[in-house]
Amino acid sequence: MKLQLIDYLVIAVYFLFVVTIGYVLKKKIKTGNDFLMSNRNIPLWITSLAFISANLGAQEVLGMAANGVKYGLYTVHFYWLGASLAMIFLGVYMMPFYYGSKARSVPEYLALRYDEKTRGFNAVTFAVMTVFSSGISLYALAMLLKIILGWDFNMSVFLAAGIVLAYTFLGGLTSAVYNEVLQFFLIVLGVAPLVIIGMDKAGGWQGIVQHVAEAKMHVWKGMASASTNPMGVDAFSLVFGLGFVLAFGYWCTDFLVVQRAMISRNLNEAQRTPIIATLPKILMPAVVIMPGIILLALQSEFKGFELPVNAAGELDYNMALPVMLSKLYPNGILGVGITALIASFMSGMAGNVTAFNTVFTFDIYQSYIKKDASEKHYLYVGKATTIAGIIISIATAYVARNFNSIMDLLQLVFGFVNAPLFATFFLGMFWKRTTANGAFYGLLSGTAAAALTHGLTMAEGKGGWLANWHTFYSGTGQAFTIAWIAFVVCFAVTVLVSLVTKPKAEESLVGLVYSLTPKQKDAAKVWYKNPLILGLIILVITVALNIIFF
Amino acid sequence: MKKLLDLRFVIGLFFLLVGGLLLVYYLLNTDITQTSLNLKCGSVFVVFGMSMVALSYFSKIEEE
Repeated sequence: MKLQLIDYLVIAVYFLFVVTIGYVLKKKIKTGNDFLMSNRNIPLWITSLAFISANLGAQEVLGMAANGVKYGLYTVHFYWLGASLAMIFLGVYMMPFYYGSKARSVPEYLALRYDEKTRGFNAVTFAVMTVFSSGISLYALAMLLKIILGWDFNMSVFLAAGIVLAYTFLGGLTSAVYNEVLQFFLIVLGVAPLVIIGMDKAGGWQGIVQHVAEAKMHVWKGMASASTNPMGVDAFSLVFGLGFVLAFGYWCTDFLVVQRAMISRNLNEAQRTPIIATLPKILMPAVVIMPGIILLALQSEFKGFELPVNAAGELDYNMALPVMLSKLYPNGILGVGITALIASFMSGMAGNVTAFNTVFTFDIYQSYIKKDASEKHYLYVGKATTIAGIIISIATAYVARNFNSIMDLLQLVFGFVNAPLFATFFLGMFWKRTTANGAFYGLLSGTAAAALTHGLTMAEGKGGWLANWHTFYSGTGQAFTIAWIAFVVCFAVTVLVSLVTKPKAEESLVGLVYSLTPKQKDAAKVWYKNPLILGLIILVITVALNIIFF
Repeated sequence: MKKLLDLRFVIGLFFLLVGGLLLVYYLLNTDITQTSLNLKCGSVFVVFGMSMVALSYFSKIEEE
């Protein structure tokens, strides 16, 4: 892939814009709250697009095109099953507690609902995971630029890290959120032409259906058994593991995404943020998965669309989107496509860094190091944490370069932490009897159960570091099973320990637990401002899409 | 931080610039084998950019 001056100009315009956004916003930031929470002053359309853009990082953009090649249409489960219901549930049922409790972060809600040790556990694991995820985004970006553009690894790492540092340090969370929205439009408008011309070349939808294996052109067919679908997953693991535990664990408890709704101007907008975001989310497969499926059709029709092999001698599915860009885009729009990829990496990194600095400042520094300092002091701490987060990210990028397995390990540990966390939140919000000790020991047990399941099972050569009791058809199937086992263990231990320990007084749980919180009267609102009605409409659309592509 | 930078204006300006670049590149490119993709995408970007800038402008007038 050879870029020309026009492509570099497009990339330069993007870099100029992101840094300028940070610079302009800098003048408006006076306090730690402005820097870390955007002073809860962001309009609904921005929070909604930022909500899905926070998840639209490079792993998503490259990874879903790769899954499109591997699994075909089945990949849409990550959207239609693994996102929509959880996002609607967050908006309708959970956001009133996050926003209404005035908590500034997800760990802070845990402190209000349970106690400091549960908050500390979540804050530390989340902070470590986010800053390492940021480093992995940086590593992946540098590798991509090296492979497809021939750029030097070190230069790519420091250039990308420097730009992310510039705009997050200057404009804080607002700057990160603004850039996420710009990135959203850049990805949609930069990749959509690829889908249109790719489909045209493949002979339209009929051409795709004709040239892609029938087994990859369904969503639910063959899900009765793990051996009869390309994902290697059975319906129970898919629905319970992905659709319930992983989806709800990620979308309802991961502060990186929840933070985008928590900075809304009022509770109603905070509730509608994830619900409105669901609409573009369920349509996103057209942009991020379709390039992979179109590639499959083009491979059977034309020469030159083959995927390269990686160092292990296996097909490098992550190169699906870059291959499509290089084969179908001329210089000019190619620069836009490459910029969209760079934007997704940098935005993913910035999202992690801004979530990290908020959790570190509010949930670690303010809680355990310096309690009653001035707003200005926390602003300095937030800024210093941003620099520290970027430095750790750079270090992680180099560690990942030398030890590739660290990426698998971190992804795995992230799953270990998120899956049981949903049980902790679910019980905490909907069962007033749940105690602080129940939550803490439930979380520990769930995480341990996840690690144990991974140690006793294998898939695609991974896991089984204790013994091999079972071999899964795919790594995806193993991940879904680990998730639901972690959830069930956390749920059961939390209930059992709660039953033998003393709960908090009911008056201290008002605004934190469903049954003890006065219900809002939504009846007078117009339909498009009613979270429940909006959620139901989007749910009907999601079900219809599942039926159409069954 | 009472009044924030209008993001519609920023996004609009970005796509106006990028769309403009694609159009200029298409017009200046003498390679007869070039496809019209830059022309089509550049035009869409310019129209989208102008719409976002217009939205920002009219909402500002409404506020005043």
